[in-house]
Amino acid sequence: MTLFHFGNCFSLAYFPYFITYKCSGLSEYNAFWRCVQAGATYLFVQLCKMLFLATFFPTWEGGAGVYDFVGEFMKATVDLADLLGLHLVMSRNAGKGEYKIMVAAMGWATAELIMSRCIPLWVGARGIEFDWKYIQMSFDSNISLVHYIAMAAVVWMFTRYDLPKSFRLPVTILLGLCVYKGFLMELFVHVFLLGSWTALLVKAVLTGAISLCSLFLFVTLVHSN
Amino acid sequence: MFEEASEVLENMLKWSFPLSLVLFLVLVCPLRAEAAHEFSVYRMQQYDLQGQTYGSRNAILNTEARTVDAEVLSRRCVMVRLADFSYEKYQKALRQSAGAVVIILPQNMSTMPQDIVQQFMELEPELLATETIVPVYFALEDEELLSIYTQTQISSSSQGSSSAAEVLLHTATANGFQMVTSGAQSKAVSDWAITSLEGRLTGAGGEDLPTIVLVAHYDSFGVAPWLSYGADSNGSGVAVLLELARLFSRLYSYKRTHAGYNLLFFLSGGGKFNYQGTKRWLEDNLDHTDSSLLQDNVAFVLCLDTLGNSDNLHLHVSKPPKEGSPQHALLRELETVAAHQHPDLKFSMVHKKINLADDTLAWEHERFGIRRLPAFTLSHLESHRSPARHSIMDMRSVSSLEGAGEATAGPHVDLTKLSRNTKVIAEALARVIYNLTEKGVGGDLQIFTEQMQVQEDQLASLVDWLTAQPRAAQLLDKDSSIVNTLEYYLSRYLKDVKRHLVRADKRDPEFVFYDQLKQTMNAYRVKPAIFDLLLAVCIASYLGVLYLAVQNFGLLYGFLRRVTAPRVKQH
Repeated sequence: MTLFHFGNCFSLAYFPYFITYKCSGLSEYNAFWRCVQAGATYLFVQLCKMLFLATFFPTWEGGAGVYDFVGEFMKATVDLADLLGLHLVMSRNAGKGEYKIMVAAMGWATAELIMSRCIPLWVGARGIEFDWKYIQMSFDSNISLVHYIAMAAVVWMFTRYDLPKSFRLPVTILLGLCVYKGFLMELFVHVFLLGSWTALLVKAVLTGAISLCSLFLFVTLVHSN
Repeated sequence: MFEEASEVLENMLKWSFPLSLVLFLVLVCPLRAEAAHEFSVYRMQQYDLQGQTYGSRNAILNTEARTVDAEVLSRRCVMVRLADFSYEKYQKALRQSAGAVVIILPQNMSTMPQDIVQQFMELEPELLATETIVPVYFALEDEELLSIYTQTQISSSSQGSSSAAEVLLHTATANGFQMVTSGAQSKAVSDWAITSLEGRLTGAGGEDLPTIVLVAHYDSFGVAPWLSYGADSNGSGVAVLLELARLFSRLYSYKRTHAGYNLLFFLSGGGKFNYQGTKRWLEDNLDHTDSSLLQDNVAFVLCLDTLGNSDNLHLHVSKPPKEGSPQHALLRELETVAAHQHPDLKFSMVHKKINLADDTLAWEHERFGIRRLPAFTLSHLESHRSPARHSIMDMRSVSSLEGAGEATAGPHVDLTKLSRNTKVIAEALARVIYNLTEKGVGGDLQIFTEQMQVQEDQLASLVDWLTAQPRAAQLLDKDSSIVNTLEYYLSRYLKDVKRHLVRADKRDPEFVFYDQLKQTMNAYRVKPAIFDLLLAVCIASYLGVLYLAVQNFGLLYGFLRRVTAPRVKQH
């Protein structure tokens, strides 16, 4: 029944993407190829980030249990490249704001899903040994989808020339939160020694909060003109 | 969407052929999952002796784990702890055609109470006697194995009890374990060579000297070959023989004490398998060679078997020695030495006729007796059927080093008693070869004192070395370190140290050994099939909810718009 378990994890991970693609109306705009281009940009950005990290960041030689806060913080800063990548994708797509955001986010998130979740699921979930982490991984991919949509929206808002002054600060804060979310999650896990399910819950809550705030700002921005 | 998808994919496939090749390889490669726990298991003996098969015939296993109190045992791996083990439970598992039996032994056997150890020792020959196709494994307990066992026990024992809903919930969420061994099916080892070693000390004074042969078999036996350390049986015998070799070679190196007897020392292999080493050695020396020490003038053959403990010493004979023969001389000397020098030692002679109708011979001297050589065996055991001779419980326990009064559970070696027995044998032999009683020397005179003392440290280190690794005959081939070290040790003190190999006859083998005696077993955590279905239902409902949420996303959007709208109006 382990192939069945793989099927379970696979459907839990992929179907929300499929649903989002269908229901957000992207299919009417022939957006498939553009999503693939966004995915390719994702690959390129990840490659650049990895090269940069490998070249400039030495391996941490401290004790096993000590968490290198500063080092991990620096590594998380490199994730700013993600923002640049998203901006690049969105600027190449002509169209309404929503269209740009959705295309960029869908392509980006799908590429991340394929690259980082496919092989662990295939190799791990198919084995005899059962572990809850595969279900957690699939849930995590759902959360990432929401996270990338919010991130794309915030990047789009940041680059608007007609962004009101009062919005600058919240948007910047949200941007920072998006980039450092991974770092914050690891921090929580280490400091509070959270279990895996609790960590997932915290991550979901955090992403939900970020996305709600960004949606709020987006609605305000779009409908104030 | 699918049309555009197919267009895009067609374009992509043209240049992504190498990618798909890699993908194909990834998909096809065999799966190696991480296990919850990986541990070594040692299989029960499997051998054929003189055409009769013994032990467990099978080695591979890939079944779910259960404990012995579960109701359904067929095609399951039954896990039992030593403390709960009994013959009835074992029979029950076999009757229900269990997939395998795994017996969990504690790491430190001295924590087990005496009666459990005794009971297990008595069960060992019975386990081997019933030939079974069920693989039987022994594992040493550690924390993870113990936790696996307790989890399995909880899930096994609750199968019969509660209400239907509870059972359903329980079977859906329970944590099962799948036990898988990594090796192949067991097959016969072809061309196994059992090695025996001989060495001699030549007597002084020309030709035709009488020969005394000292024999001890160096292999050990137990229900699992990898766990047979054989401390007392026969590690003690080997230690005594090596110490005697050292003492007498020292005596023989001085001209004044060089006696007129040849001393032939023989360490035989395959002793626990009906003394195969001795049998072939005798055949080669008596039938196939023209001249050999064994043919001419053998005074007697003394076999040493299990001398490491207790205050009894028995001399087992197949024919009571005649008056005036060298055999009788040794018997008398042993009595004298025991009576005068070690009054706490109870020495006696045990007479047992050779019964050729039995499956196996009782003691090693019977091999010599069949070839009409005068022989006896010295042992502290009274009967050859004693379970201490073939038990895995026979290991050198650490506590005996401290010399405390605590009784260790199984058979073990007590160094003071071992060195006392060595001294008794050495004194008696010396009195025979120097003819001391006829010369009127009293029974109190001790020869082996001061510089010639029996060294207890030497005996201790020998026994420690011998029990540091299992010495089952199936594990010691001619290149093994034990055989090499024994050869080296003998060649330090004796001359003409030779190896003697025994290989089973091709057409009608006397003994056949099988492999796959030590395996790595993996325990994988598995969930029952219903669990997957349950999970699928949950995921389907989650996806349904998600679909509805995405469809109605517009509601949230509108709500937020309404919330922000009044602010706009104010500007």
